[in-house]
Amino acid sequence: CSAVTGSGRKLKDNAADWHNLILRWEKLNNEGSGVAEKIVDQRLKRSPGEAAAPPPGSAPPNPGRPLEQACSELVGVVSKMASIVAKMERLASSERGVLELETFQRGAAGRGGPLFHSWPTQLFVEQSAGLLQCYQKELALKQRVLQELAHTGPQDLCMVYLSCWLHQPYIPADSRLALEALLLETGHRAL
Amino acid sequence: MSSEMSIPSSLALQQVLRKSFQHLETNQKTWHSVLAECIPLVGSVGNLAQQLRALSNVNIPNTPLQAFPDLQQRLHFKLVLALDIVLEKLNEKLVLLQSVRDSHSNQLMAAFQLYERDADTLDLYTCTQRSPVAPSIADMLEWLQNAELYYKQQFLKRKTLLHSLMPDDLSLLESTPERWDSLETSSDTLFRVSFFVESNKGE
Repeated sequence: CSAVTGSGRKLKDNAADWHNLILRWEKLNNEGSGVAEKIVDQRLKRSPGEAAAPPPGSAPPNPGRPLEQACSELVGVVSKMASIVAKMERLASSERGVLELETFQRGAAGRGGPLFHSWPTQLFVEQSAGLLQCYQKELALKQRVLQELAHTGPQDLCMVYLSCWLHQPYIPADSRLALEALLLETGHRAL
Repeated sequence: MSSEMSIPSSLALQQVLRKSFQHLETNQKTWHSVLAECIPLVGSVGNLAQQLRALSNVNIPNTPLQAFPDLQQRLHFKLVLALDIVLEKLNEKLVLLQSVRDSHSNQLMAAFQLYERDADTLDLYTCTQRSPVAPSIADMLEWLQNAELYYKQQFLKRKTLLHSLMPDDLSLLESTPERWDSLETSSDTLFRVSFFVESNKGE
């Protein structure tokens, strides 16, 4: 199948962009895991058994350079992840645009045949929307973990924060399959 | 007498036994290499168990994560999935250990078959005769049997340990790295075989 013009081209390029964004996210996630561990280690060194908060009204403690540096590194990681999600939002939006154009030009019946192998345009929109929702929720979790990790928490809660970061509960195990399916459909992977 | 006299059966058997020792050396290398690959995997089992324990000790609605109502079950699912993946990899390592065990057993069986075939010509003196540079036939057969016993016992213990692991038995999972390490034993026989093969290299 050839998809060198218009909608086909757009969807094919988007599939490549999804792939690149998700790989970048994974790399940032690994980087962030290491930094998050460092933060927890530093907290636990200061008060073993409980990463304690300073009593209210007291002057904020000097966290020490390593902890400060690690926190600021993690802020950087989360900020890059937020940019990735913003780009994902634009991809999903452009795919909705492709579907709207198709509907406008050909009516509700749509194109009549798939642009590539078998997927109707609607399916591209649904897949993207699904992926976007996962990454948006995961980002929200990471932002909350970032806020809390640098403050208080008993040891178990710190470990839960680390688990959340590493294991990404809002990104289902089969999301990688969804990405591969997208790449197969658009011809980025050989069938 | 013809110069193409058949090699006395004791010499033939000794040659087969020496070859078996060389196979054993190779098997030992594979065995140790597979066990080394198991170390980080077994560590992961302990680590994941600690994470599962921490999650079970935390009541998410009472924490800053309360805005994520389905978080507990999602994270639990991901942790158990990660554990499944690690246990699957450990099972693959078990299969490799099993093939080392079986390879050695086959070697031993072949050696014993040759011994039994020529048993009439191999008297007690011949079988127990040692030299300064070589153990006796009896020694070599015994060492090969001891090695087989070592592989069988080690494999069985490790298989039993791994197959007893259940995702909801956190204490068992947490103690896995320590228990796995405690299974490591050295074998005098394997040391002797190694020493003998080393000292006869180049023959």
